Amino acid sequence: MKITIKIIGPFVVSAGFSEKEVDLPEGATGEAVVALINLNNPKPMIMTRNGESLRPQDPLRDGDRVVIAPIYSGG
Amino acid sequence: MTGWTGRMLRVNLTHKTSRAESFSEEFARKWIGGRGFAVKILYDELAPGVDPLGPDNKFIVALGPIAGIPAPNTGKAVVAGKSPSTGGYGDGNLGTRVAEQLRKAGYDALIVEGRAERPTLLLIEDDKVEFLPAGAVWGKGTYETNDWIYAKYGKGAGVLNIGPGGEKMVRWAVVRSLEGRAGGRTGMGAVMGSKRLKAIVVKGTKPIPQADPEAMKKIGSEDLRKVHQIDKETGWSIQSTDGVLAWCNEVAALPVRNFRKTFHPDAWKVDGERLNNARVATYGCPNCTMRCGITIHDAEGRESELDYENIALLGPNLEIFDLAEVGSLNYLCDDYGIDTMSGGCVLSFYADAIDQGAIPGDFKFGDAAGAKALLGRIARREGDLGNLLAEGSLRAARTIGKNSEAYAMQVKGLELAAYNCKFIPGMALAFGVAPIGAHHKESWVITFELKQTSRESYGPEKAQKVIDLQRIRGGLFEYIVACRFPWIELGWGLENYPKYFKLVSGLDWTLDDFWRVSDRTYALMKLFWLREYPRSERKLDYPPAVWFDPANADTEGPIAGKCLEYDKYDGLLQHYYDIRGYDRRGIPTKATALALGLADEVAVVERIAKLV
Repeated sequence: MKITIKIIGPFVVSAGFSEKEVDLPEGATGEAVVALINLNNPKPMIMTRNGESLRPQDPLRDGDRVVIAPIYSGG
Repeated sequence: MTGWTGRMLRVNLTHKTSRAESFSEEFARKWIGGRGFAVKILYDELAPGVDPLGPDNKFIVALGPIAGIPAPNTGKAVVAGKSPSTGGYGDGNLGTRVAEQLRKAGYDALIVEGRAERPTLLLIEDDKVEFLPAGAVWGKGTYETNDWIYAKYGKGAGVLNIGPGGEKMVRWAVVRSLEGRAGGRTGMGAVMGSKRLKAIVVKGTKPIPQADPEAMKKIGSEDLRKVHQIDKETGWSIQSTDGVLAWCNEVAALPVRNFRKTFHPDAWKVDGERLNNARVATYGCPNCTMRCGITIHDAEGRESELDYENIALLGPNLEIFDLAEVGSLNYLCDDYGIDTMSGGCVLSFYADAIDQGAIPGDFKFGDAAGAKALLGRIARREGDLGNLLAEGSLRAARTIGKNSEAYAMQVKGLELAAYNCKFIPGMALAFGVAPIGAHHKESWVITFELKQTSRESYGPEKAQKVIDLQRIRGGLFEYIVACRFPWIELGWGLENYPKYFKLVSGLDWTLDDFWRVSDRTYALMKLFWLREYPRSERKLDYPPAVWFDPANADTEGPIAGKCLEYDKYDGLLQHYYDIRGYDRRGIPTKATALALGLADEVAVVERIAKLV
């Protein structure tokens, strides 16, 4: 299934991209997205799908847009 | 008493007098400094109903016990007074050398009273106070004024100044310092302007009293290096605060078109990556090792210092997606000395009101040239339109009528920060109950809402989180007077602040001790509000009506068809009041106020309005 990954903020530097589409097998979860990117950054992250939290154990759906961002605190 | 100078400087511009006043150790421990000092002084000294733009209002600069000390992000000062935008207690903080210089001059706070006969520069050099003419820069922008002051007093001086917006008493005029710092979006620049006080310049040479200065110097310097290291490891300052713009756009929290929309396909053009790519310089406040001020060349080739709030509100909120043009609008606000955030909201309100047919006009969303011209008219209060918008979106809406108040994006008269809470109930609450109006500095809960609870929830966990963050953000950092960024953005431990406090004061406090001061400070801001508005009611703690309007719900995207619901929001508000010990009006109960040590303050307010 096709999943779009969007990386936000300074995570772009460690991930090496800001947005790309990937193919993942049926049944893949949020964990698979985390495994795909190299987030060598100590800042805690938040993963969302369509504006809602996505946990590592949550199954993905074809066409999902998964956003990975540092935890922001509102300046 | 150590950790405080134990003195405040009181200045009267009408009579050109000044005197140093001592304060007690009990006062210091009860209010700590900054916002705590300011609200207590204003509550005690202002008569209810005082005109915020009259000579009886007072302008306060208040510092905290770690202000100006070499430790992470202590180069900040609180500016305060009765707010011309809300009519309640108002304040703001800004990075400035005044933090260090005023303490070195021997004062923890400055109280300015009266009104000068002519434009005045207040010069404080240790124990010497002078009232100097400032006619040469009256009418000039803040950049030229700053240069004029630097040429006379050197770049090491602590400087606060205002621009034409403050002079003309635009109700959302700010105080400016250094090259790019601004504070007091509750109209503190207008309070200075009402006093014909163009600038304050401070130079001090005395040591700042500290219990253990050697240890403070050693630990503070080490911690400054550590904060810098964390910033490097996380890359936070690569995009600085504007990193959040792309995220807000993804999770439907970005203000677009006067908050009518929550995301936009062109938002990437003004996001943190583009800002970093356009960077020509980086600025920070004194004692800062995670500098957040990214400057770019604006459309006219000037250096303009941008952050998330001003980009989002002067950019997407006006449907302007050209970063250089956003930079120009930001530069003009800074030079005029008017608030970039309220500026974005007031202009978007005006464009929306024209769209809705509530007022005639040709200003449209996306019109950068029109926005630039309008900012000038507002700052100079030029004509009926300049005057109307200089009053802020709430007053303008009440003049316009035709239900336009529903989409004046403000709470209590202060325009929103750049988070669109059309379907983020906890953050809507944070704006609603912010005691100075809709300021994000009080509490910010969006990632908590999305990650640790549900967007749909109106449960007490959100009210509790708002309070937890108010105690830290609007409490601790505002009265100890330090920038919250090392903690919120880099995870610098809160336990460091009692540590610094002990090194300067010798007092061994826990964070719980500080939260009690926070709760006391919040309660007094509410009593101040009640004294000004004896008929206070909970509706004052509601966010803009348009967020509750199903007809305004997004038609596509993550929150399509959804909006806030009145009954549920009111329930969330009640959770907040219950946890705080406030009554149904949102005012501390008598028992709550007394438990916080506010017996004298209760006696004062009960001459006007009863506590439950």
